[in-house]
Amino acid sequence: MNYYKQVLTVTLWEYRRFFKIKNELIGIVVMIVIFTLSYFGGRYAATESSEKPHLTVLNDLNPQLSELLSKDFEVESIPVGEKAKYLSEITTLKEGSLLLQEGAGFEVHSWKKPKKFKKLQESLNVYCQTEALLKINLSAENLEDVLKPATLKEVYLYETGTRGKNVLAYFFAGLMIMAVFLSFAYQFTAITGEKQLKITEQIISAIKPQAWMDGKILGITLTGLSSMLTYSVIGLLGGMLFFQFTGTPVSAIIQYLYFPSILLFFTFTIMGVLLWNAFLAAIASVITDPNNSGKSGIMLLPILFVFSAFLVMRDPDDGISVFLSWFPLTSATAMPMRWVTTEVAWWQLAGSFVILAATFYLLRKLAAKIFHVSILISGKEPTWREVIKLAWEN
Amino acid sequence: MTPTTILQVSALSKAFKNVQAVENISFSLERGDIFAFLGPNGAGKTTTLRILLDIIKADSGSIKWNFGGIVNNLPPSAQIGYLPEERGLYTDLPIIRSLVYLASIRGMEPSKAKTSAMEWLEKLDLADRAKEKLQALSKGNQQKIQFIASILHKPAFAILDEPFSGLDPLNQEKFIGYIKELNHQGTTILLSSHQMPLVEKIAHRVFLINQGKELFNGSLMDIYKNFGQQPILDISFASEIPHEQLQMLPGTENITTVGAQQVKVTFLPCRDLNEILLNLARIEGIANIKSHNSSLHDIFLNMVKTHQQ
Repeated sequence: MNYYKQVLTVTLWEYRRFFKIKNELIGIVVMIVIFTLSYFGGRYAATESSEKPHLTVLNDLNPQLSELLSKDFEVESIPVGEKAKYLSEITTLKEGSLLLQEGAGFEVHSWKKPKKFKKLQESLNVYCQTEALLKINLSAENLEDVLKPATLKEVYLYETGTRGKNVLAYFFAGLMIMAVFLSFAYQFTAITGEKQLKITEQIISAIKPQAWMDGKILGITLTGLSSMLTYSVIGLLGGMLFFQFTGTPVSAIIQYLYFPSILLFFTFTIMGVLLWNAFLAAIASVITDPNNSGKSGIMLLPILFVFSAFLVMRDPDDGISVFLSWFPLTSATAMPMRWVTTEVAWWQLAGSFVILAATFYLLRKLAAKIFHVSILISGKEPTWREVIKLAWEN
Repeated sequence: MTPTTILQVSALSKAFKNVQAVENISFSLERGDIFAFLGPNGAGKTTTLRILLDIIKADSGSIKWNFGGIVNNLPPSAQIGYLPEERGLYTDLPIIRSLVYLASIRGMEPSKAKTSAMEWLEKLDLADRAKEKLQALSKGNQQKIQFIASILHKPAFAILDEPFSGLDPLNQEKFIGYIKELNHQGTTILLSSHQMPLVEKIAHRVFLINQGKELFNGSLMDIYKNFGQQPILDISFASEIPHEQLQMLPGTENITTVGAQQVKVTFLPCRDLNEILLNLARIEGIANIKSHNSSLHDIFLNMVKTHQQ
């Protein structure tokens, strides 16, 4: 039986073992529930925050201030004589906010910090600045000039990515992070789990470690990509439904589907998931019991992805972002992210991809080697030193 | 290497750190053999089998496999079946799926693997449980599945490492039957074990190994001929065992107390049984005497003991 047939057999086995339509459907239902809750929860929160909070003032307050405050607050005016009564009621009723003017300053009495306190501070600032400017006899025209915001014309020589491209970048980064974290779980079951079930020796007597390892990497990558595809289709359908629901024309979704971006992201994503699978497979090969292994922490390295994506979006041209876009463990998300947010030459894209592919090629070889030597160490879990020494000797 | 030789091992050695696991051993198997690799725990049996399967590399020596006239240094996986000492299968998957997969990676077509798996399951009274998960089966039945997994692809050569371990006497007898049947179907068998009475029932040839070194390599007939000529008597007494009188018996090699009133007396080779019985007649209180020659177990223990001295 040749190498390719063996790899195909193991790939299909792993794929069928882990990719289950039922589990995908459960995941989609959970996603829809979360999305629906987030959407309606968000809308509810927005409705709540758009309501004007109640603010009480004394009837001797400057009417101009009162008018200014009424833009953001439901202002209620009470007679000056009721001040003491209102203040005492705040304690008993545990609600209400009373704004008092004390000379040039203000006091706010409230059971707890009032809602939109910043707005209150801003309104009082505007009022005090206006009063101060009026005191130096500025005309109404001059006063308007002074308070007018500065104009700023935006002229950029390099036009940054459109909103659609950015959304696509985040979408792919999200899918890839999902695929890598799924791989993380599957690799433990596929490799460490098999070691625990003591199947490894039987399998390794039948096929070469490289064929076995390549089959695992490909099968689990295929599982991750299938999940990505499922969620992409569901995301697309969900987006169309959302647009329909919010009154946006469905055709607007096309602005998000920029083919060169999709091609670039897809290429980098496939290679990135393959590389991470090879990396995780190498680590899983050394772990005998994930619950008691000190090496399990290394399996959390995929979190680098999340950080790299965010760091690049913060400033795509700084040194860290450039490094992340070339470093093979992060370039699969970082380089496409940079591409949509700044100017990246074609040779940079090609160079980063070649390094990514070459690293994957070497990592899969290393994973097979580590696996082969680690199964020979029986009893306790092998140390990195033992594995490296044996790998070197073999 | 003759045309009928299927495996030839020459001067094989392997050391781990400071332990010489296998030291300069040589043996060969003819097509159709049932060859038993015998030795105590840690003797080097599993290490040798792993070297044969190319799971680990030997430090020195050579291995030649001959399948259909084509000689290889590495075992062709489609022709080899392997039952490892450390048993394990996918416990959370249907039995039939695991069996088909394991046969597939050895090159068998999945449809043929399924048919063959069902035939073996039928034979081993497990056909109705084919779709169940392995974890639902008893330990004995799990062993049967493990056995099927190792020979399902109809290998020309099967390596069975401790095939009887963990089995009750009833299942041990059944497994002897399965191995014989497999052999009749044309599979050459190399098995390792330390359960001598069982090996005695099926092996054509034996290889005794201790501390990585060869103690004996030959047919069962040869081993009995060369080392099994010692009369052994199992003697039961009505009351206490008269140890002093037994020690005085001429020609004894070893006296082992078996129970409170029973001993096993091994005599030096070729001692005359009549003379032994005449001497025994002088000892009072004998309730029962059973005479037999050395079993493989006796020979094995004797050889290991002598080797360790």
